[in-house]
Amino acid sequence: MSGINSSRMSRAARGNQLPGYLVVTAWCLFTFVLIGWIVAASFSTTRDIFKGELFKSGFHPENYVKALVTHNVGVYFVNSLIYTISACFGIAAVSAPAAYILARFPSKTGNLIQNSFVAALGVPAIMIIMPLFALITSLGWTNSRLLLIALYVAINVPFTVFFMTTFFKNIPSSFEEAAAIDGCGPMRTFWVIILPLAQPGLVTVTIFNFITVWNEYFMALIFANNTALRPVAVGLYSMIQSMRYTGDWAGMFAAVVIIFLPTFLLYIFLSEKIIAGVTSGAIKG
Amino acid sequence: MKKKRHTLMKVVFLGPAVLSYLAVFLYPTLRTTVMSFFKVDSITDAVSKWSFAGLDNYRTLFSSELFLRSMRNIAGIWLYGGLLVFALALLLAAILTSGVRLKSFFRAVIYLPNVISAVAMGTMWMQYVYSSRYGLLKSTFKTLGLEGLSAVQWTSPEHIFGALLVAYCFGMVGYFMLIFMAGIEKIPADFYEVATIEGAGKFKQFRHITMPLMKGVMRTSIVLWTISTVVFFIWSMVFSPLNPEPGTVTPMVYMYQMVFGANMVVTERNVGAGAAVGVLLSLMVLAIFIVSSKAIRDDGLEF
Repeated sequence: MSGINSSRMSRAARGNQLPGYLVVTAWCLFTFVLIGWIVAASFSTTRDIFKGELFKSGFHPENYVKALVTHNVGVYFVNSLIYTISACFGIAAVSAPAAYILARFPSKTGNLIQNSFVAALGVPAIMIIMPLFALITSLGWTNSRLLLIALYVAINVPFTVFFMTTFFKNIPSSFEEAAAIDGCGPMRTFWVIILPLAQPGLVTVTIFNFITVWNEYFMALIFANNTALRPVAVGLYSMIQSMRYTGDWAGMFAAVVIIFLPTFLLYIFLSEKIIAGVTSGAIKG
Repeated sequence: MKKKRHTLMKVVFLGPAVLSYLAVFLYPTLRTTVMSFFKVDSITDAVSKWSFAGLDNYRTLFSSELFLRSMRNIAGIWLYGGLLVFALALLLAAILTSGVRLKSFFRAVIYLPNVISAVAMGTMWMQYVYSSRYGLLKSTFKTLGLEGLSAVQWTSPEHIFGALLVAYCFGMVGYFMLIFMAGIEKIPADFYEVATIEGAGKFKQFRHITMPLMKGVMRTSIVLWTISTVVFFIWSMVFSPLNPEPGTVTPMVYMYQMVFGANMVVTERNVGAGAAVGVLLSLMVLAIFIVSSKAIRDDGLEF
């Protein structure tokens, strides 16, 4: 793409790009200062942060120990890992087969299902939370890890099905025909032949689901709001709420870093894939 | 025989997805809609304890000062934030598609806030950028010698809405920039070549080629923006962690406090009114969807 664009530009036009460079550089610089300062503050002390002289009293990695142990962020982190990884597998297992049927066997019912799933993408969480809470409380299932995982799976199925359907449509059906001739049943064909071919799409959508579930806040706030079950987002929030009692700003910044590190690292290694996924998912119109 | 096997596969493959949809989307949406017309004292009350209240819940909402404030707040976030985000995202997208070097690097950095937890991003803004003791704004303005600006309390009641809006929009710009970039890159390069030969400048090209051909992308973006702003919640919670403040309260925060909350700001427990908030927000999304599909027509251009 950039090749086409650069050939479009004459040399003279390139001279005018300076303001553009200034804008994007300033934007990126601000982002770096924002994140860089938080990381620096997380290795400093609360007193140095307040004096505006980071590292005056040296380098303090023990903030992380304090955050992880004293402020329970270690527990929240493990909870988040459990929720996120299990939910990602669950979402893929439920969505991929459904998307395959919708892509391969178009029908009126299939269309209805597909449209309902797309409509679900526009339903605000507030519309579903109260009946779910009532139902779950009456069944006595509150404060359970398994329940929160099941909710995360169900909530993310529509987007994942929507995303994967286009992906399956692009796999030529000659694969199934060949498999059928060789005597491979349709279900086996899906698991053994089609699913591996759809792997790139499944990986992309799973990265999205990882980021979504890791950062999810509202459901966890309502269904897992006690110290043993909280994921990181709710944990950090409860830590902020108690800041005026604890006053440990350095520990709080360490917690912020611990929380954004997993998705941040994922992004560093996979940003191209994530960016390609965002545009292919949203641009359909 | 063969056909039968396919039916079995369809049921087995679609079953879990459809069931989860029915349990988590269809049933709750219908029940919330019905609940919004009933007086419900406790969220766990059985349907038999509900008493029909007509439009009372809606009347209660529209006579609540805090709820009206919350509606004005999201209207402001939707309109001012939308203008800000769309303008900046278009500007950045236009710059990054004009053949600059390091395009992927800039693009990746600008999108970055979207992968970070909103609670973490909000905390960074609240506890660092806007801090009145060691904040980025304070120290920057101080270095520049702008004493007046460096003394501003960005999170005080009169500034907090603006502070919240800027912090939220900063992250959203990256998302819409990606969508706009993809839209611009779909436009064939020869359109611009011809325009350049005919003597049209950059601005004219943007106005007469890019914008008209991006109609469909704009329509989708407006709907996506609406969906994300009506459920505005986390940022508001992070910007006023103890009690909802008039400057940051949104309908979702209001509903949360009314149905699940434990503080003294919203004292009345009225689950039916909470459901009515949900119905109103859904209707807003639907209205924007319908209006934007009618107002912004695709010209059916293929390119």
